[in-house]
Amino acid sequence: MTVHAALEWIESTGLSTAIREGALPYPIIGGVHLLAIALFGGMLLMTDFRLLGWAMHRRPVSEIVRQFQGWKRFGFLMVVVSGLLLAWAEPQKLYRSPAFWIKMALFALVGVHALVFRSRVYANTGALDSGITAEARVAAALSLILWAGLIVSGRLIAFDA
Amino acid sequence: MPAPSFFEWLSTSPIANAMNGPEWAFPVVESLHFIGFAFSIGTIAIMDLRLLGLLLRRQPARELARDLNRYTLFGLGLMLITGPLMFSADAVAYHNNPSFQFKMVCLTIALLFHFTLHRKATQSSGAWTRFAGALSLLLWTCVVAGGRMIAFV
Repeated sequence: MTVHAALEWIESTGLSTAIREGALPYPIIGGVHLLAIALFGGMLLMTDFRLLGWAMHRRPVSEIVRQFQGWKRFGFLMVVVSGLLLAWAEPQKLYRSPAFWIKMALFALVGVHALVFRSRVYANTGALDSGITAEARVAAALSLILWAGLIVSGRLIAFDA
Repeated sequence: MPAPSFFEWLSTSPIANAMNGPEWAFPVVESLHFIGFAFSIGTIAIMDLRLLGLLLRRQPARELARDLNRYTLFGLGLMLITGPLMFSADAVAYHNNPSFQFKMVCLTIALLFHFTLHRKATQSSGAWTRFAGALSLLLWTCVVAGGRMIAFV
């Protein structure tokens, strides 16, 4: 099956048509996507700002990271599920959108970021309580840049089509 | 000056021309609006979850409020600058858009609440602080939902 046939098949599914053509599903799923970005993004921001030593100094790094972890996972899951539903609704449009591919590339880099830094920074916060390492600061700065890029490229998708 | 002529003037003002001029102007301003959104509503959500007792329970709410306040204000500031810029690009249409009107009503209530009762709730204790956290989440959710619907009405 060619890519175009696959994309056409996706758009012919009932779920895709329902999200694309119904009056309410698309804005509602888009709204959930946004609210999840606020939940996930706000905590990501504060976690990384804590690692950079800019915010919430009154509590240890380990406590901030642990407290936010569950909510961040929940927010991330909501972002991804709602994002997949939005993509399922109009895959052909996204396939042609440069901003979408930039967004996906950044998303892949988020995976690389996790592979590189997760075990030594985000899962190793006990060691950071006595002093934030240069590596942790680099991880935090890169994380902020990646997610800012994701937000901006995501927003730009609307202007590509 | 009657209201409609103000919006007509605004949509032909230099600001509107700048917003409607280069192709990148609107997307860039809207992206900044979203960054401000993550800062403001993101940190407000953290504060609300703390008021609800769902997060960072070891840190007193008052102390957390002091830690988050500057980021919330930065985000709100960025939104309140970029929002009117986008509005000016098509002022008459936005002014007449029911979702936009809904958003502005919710935003006014949310801002008033944020700087009065919500602020008070972060400085005190008691059952009503939970209520304040829940109400704040609800109000900001309405603001976001109204904003999202603007493009679809």
